[in-house]
Amino acid sequence: MDKETVRRVAMLARLELSEEEIESFTKDLGEILEHFSMLDELQDLDDYGFNPVEVIDVLRDDEPHQEIPAEELLRDMDTYEDYVRGPRLS
Amino acid sequence: MSSALSISKIRELNEEYGMFYSIGDGKGLDGSRFHFSAKDNLTTKDHPTTAGSKILSNYRPPFDAAAVERLREAGGVLLGKTSMDEFGFGTFSVNSAFEVPRNPYDRDRSCGGSSGGAACAAALIDGHLALGVSTGGSISCPAAFCGVFGFTPTYGRVSRYGLLDYGNSLDKIGMLAADCATIAELFPLIAGADERDPTSCGHPPMGECRIPASIGIPSESIKGLPPGIRKSFDEAVTKLKDDMGIEVRTLEMPMFRYAQPAYYIIATSEASTNLARYGGMRYGARGKDLGLHFDRYFTSVRSENFGAEAKRRILLGTFTRMVGLRDRYYLRALQVRQAVIEEYRRAFKDVDAVLTPTMPFIAPRFNEVAGMSALEIYLADHLTIPPNLSGMPHLNIPCGYVEGMPVGMQLVADHWDEGCLLQAGMEWGKLFERIRPEAMI
Amino acid sequence: MKIGLEIHVQLPTRSKMFCACPTDGVTPNSAICPTCLGMPGARPSLNRAALEMGLRLAKLYDCKIPERTWFSRKTYFYPDLAKHFQVTQYDNPVGEYGVFDFRGKPIRIRRVHLEEDPGRIKRVGRQGEEMSLVDYNRSGIPLVEIVTEPDLSNPAEARQFLSDMLTEIRHTIGLSDENEQSVRVDCNISVGIERVEVKNVTGLRNMERALKYELVRQTKMLRSKKPIVRETRRFDEERKVTLPARKKEFEEDYGYIGEPDLGVYNIRALAESLDEKESPLARAKRLCEEYGMAEGTSRQLINTSMGLCDLFEEMAAAAGTKASLYLVTDVISSNWSKIKDLLDEDMRAEIIEVARLYSDASVNDIEARRRLRALFSEDEVAETGSAVRGDPKLLEDAVEKAVTANPGIFEDYAKNDRAANRLIGDVINSTKGAFSSQEIVLKVKERLERDL
Ligand SMILES: [Zn+2]
Repeated sequence: MDKETVRRVAMLARLELSEEEIESFTKDLGEILEHFSMLDELQDLDDYGFNPVEVIDVLRDDEPHQEIPAEELLRDMDTYEDYVRGPRLS
Repeated sequence: MSSALSISKIRELNEEYGMFYSIGDGKGLDGSRFHFSAKDNLTTKDHPTTAGSKILSNYRPPFDAAAVERLREAGGVLLGKTSMDEFGFGTFSVNSAFEVPRNPYDRDRSCGGSSGGAACAAALIDGHLALGVSTGGSISCPAAFCGVFGFTPTYGRVSRYGLLDYGNSLDKIGMLAADCATIAELFPLIAGADERDPTSCGHPPMGECRIPASIGIPSESIKGLPPGIRKSFDEAVTKLKDDMGIEVRTLEMPMFRYAQPAYYIIATSEASTNLARYGGMRYGARGKDLGLHFDRYFTSVRSENFGAEAKRRILLGTFTRMVGLRDRYYLRALQVRQAVIEEYRRAFKDVDAVLTPTMPFIAPRFNEVAGMSALEIYLADHLTIPPNLSGMPHLNIPCGYVEGMPVGMQLVADHWDEGCLLQAGMEWGKLFERIRPEAMI
Repeated sequence: MKIGLEIHVQLPTRSKMFCACPTDGVTPNSAICPTCLGMPGARPSLNRAALEMGLRLAKLYDCKIPERTWFSRKTYFYPDLAKHFQVTQYDNPVGEYGVFDFRGKPIRIRRVHLEEDPGRIKRVGRQGEEMSLVDYNRSGIPLVEIVTEPDLSNPAEARQFLSDMLTEIRHTIGLSDENEQSVRVDCNISVGIERVEVKNVTGLRNMERALKYELVRQTKMLRSKKPIVRETRRFDEERKVTLPARKKEFEEDYGYIGEPDLGVYNIRALAESLDEKESPLARAKRLCEEYGMAEGTSRQLINTSMGLCDLFEEMAAAAGTKASLYLVTDVISSNWSKIKDLLDEDMRAEIIEVARLYSDASVNDIEARRRLRALFSEDEVAETGSAVRGDPKLLEDAVEKAVTANPGIFEDYAKNDRAANRLIGDVINSTKGAFSSQEIVLKVKERLERDL
């Protein structure tokens, strides 16, 4: 782990880090990844799932309904003519 | 219920212990069936929900979490929202943008985390039920440090609708209480399928409740324990054998040591995507200037409002799923989880439950916590991580005191077999003498 | 030239892909809920209809369907993306390694996958500093993405291919014309070695234009020995040119992980259980084989409507192929837009009756067409034609009348025998179906030849 990598990862995650932060995260992440490297000992695993228990074929019928009124959802949002305001695009 | 309990007493207590981030008006408390609290990462319509993060300051969700909704429907009164590490990122509840809860037995010590406020409330308020959430040990750890029962059910047993995600394949909503009977009585209210959370659907119902006839202790889990903790654990094991008639064996579980890195990789990979949504647009903290280019806007809101541990875990989780690294870290970690599950399955062929100490030390003082490195803190979870990684239900059982501070043991059962844990906890409660904290109300 | 397409089509479900919000929200942010707004604590739940539509398409292209499928998170930051990750499919999509028989030329289908649409952005303010206003009605609308291998060789072929493909998709999942117009395509084009991607082109015509523009541009570059760079471009619909897409500050890394809130789906068994409807192109092929139809005719039928094909097959069963085909390709298909709304049981029976009468020569072609027209247009009078059938004297009189009414017809006919059509038209009108067109043509030609 080096500072350049931390800068690139921070950019991907949309985080702006101070020099001190970069310094300390580089050190922390370096130590942690070093510890993670013990996983390299395990090469012959192949089975995996995205949940620890089976979650199979849970489907919903195609029936439209809305529980919470849109006004309530928009209540605390910054809106303009019912559109939600967002930042500049270019 | 206890008519002596009042909101003003809770407020006073909170001044000293900081277990609540937000306290309700106590409406309906007199004559209510029971009172409960919710960890602040469970949504509530009538309280702000921040998950301990500045990025959700003053956020008021438009819906109640399923677990909160069900307890209310059953006649429970929500006292308030309990303090926690930001988004559950921590072992000592010190990583909060707001209140840091203090240990009921020593205010200079941590409650543990990340459900620290929940454990503190369970220890100090008589008859209280605290809803907690565990990803890698966030119920067991504070329950052990605060001397209460902390129950984490099987992954998928309780709907996560309304839970602010940390790691979706690891997060479990559970309960903390001083008396295991409180949990055994109220837990069925929140268990079971909810179509708003597909991972809660299609599972077997809770089985018959019998105390485990045999338990296994992984030899890996008792290596290098401090003598006080070891002594307390050994005495408890003797009691289990002699007073409860449980057969105790030693097991080898060599995959355990890999559970810890696998856990941090899966948890942070998922967390870094879950936290991507916080960018100052629809809820929570807003940026000052929408006139900024969106990349700059999102970056400024996130950098200003996430705490140091949240940033560390976002970085770690973004890294472990990057192109070229994904196979080595993320996919490997998923495979290790499968291997740990299989190791548990093998153990459960021989024994009904697996027992370990819960934490390798007693609740540390805040100044000790401040001196620990990130890796040292991550390593402190090594006993609570295996059941959490593999989605196995587990229960922290208070089992003794060292230097006046509580010590806990952790009983783990097979998927969907949580009934036997609660039964064992209730039996144990009859044999174990709890030392009540002085400040208890 | 090699062209590969990534085709995005909205699936015509009633509710969104991962939440129950309706898909037909009109006013901005009216069809929204915590899930499609990406609010903390809300979770996805997969719409069965969307999964089934994806599987029907995977089957249509004869894709390899995996035992299990799942969804993945594709993380990137953009103001229209509620969660800042899109739920899509990365590994094990609903279909892979398929093929589309494009008029005898196999076009390989690399994959078929499902994903959610982001919200819709309205840009406001001065160009170069536009602000975003977001409508989340679109957020979570189900899409299918079909990715082809670069097996297409020119813009016209690509357009034809996409048009054929849409015919099939429309039929397979019940896509409406409106949805069809919103088809979005990412095109990969390489004239030389380097591949250029033109992103987000809407509709068939724009796609062909974008491809043609790229063909010319890249060919010119190659001729003048300029290097073609591997890049992403966009199509400017107004100026009809492709332009380099705005350079991003840095390259995103989507960091795909499995979506842990949904679990997995056993799709092979589900795919097998879905009933298979005959696809339009398969039907065109069968119509040729079964009824001896020309290929162009069968395509004309399926392109008009599968309902028209159904009607034809019913008529053919009752009145034989020849008579039915004549009426269907002639008067019925030209009036199809009117007929399709009127086509109830009674109307079907009446049409089949006319076909039967024409088939056994109880009425001739002109009368059959007239009767059919009367069935589906109000201004046509339903009166029966001249009762006296086949009186040769009447026909001769009518021809004479027409000759008188068309002075100079003999000179014209001497120059071009198509001038006879003028007389034929007049006679058909004046005899009101008493004679078949064949009889009339014969008589008119006889008369013209006689006095030439
Ligand atoms: Zn929705």
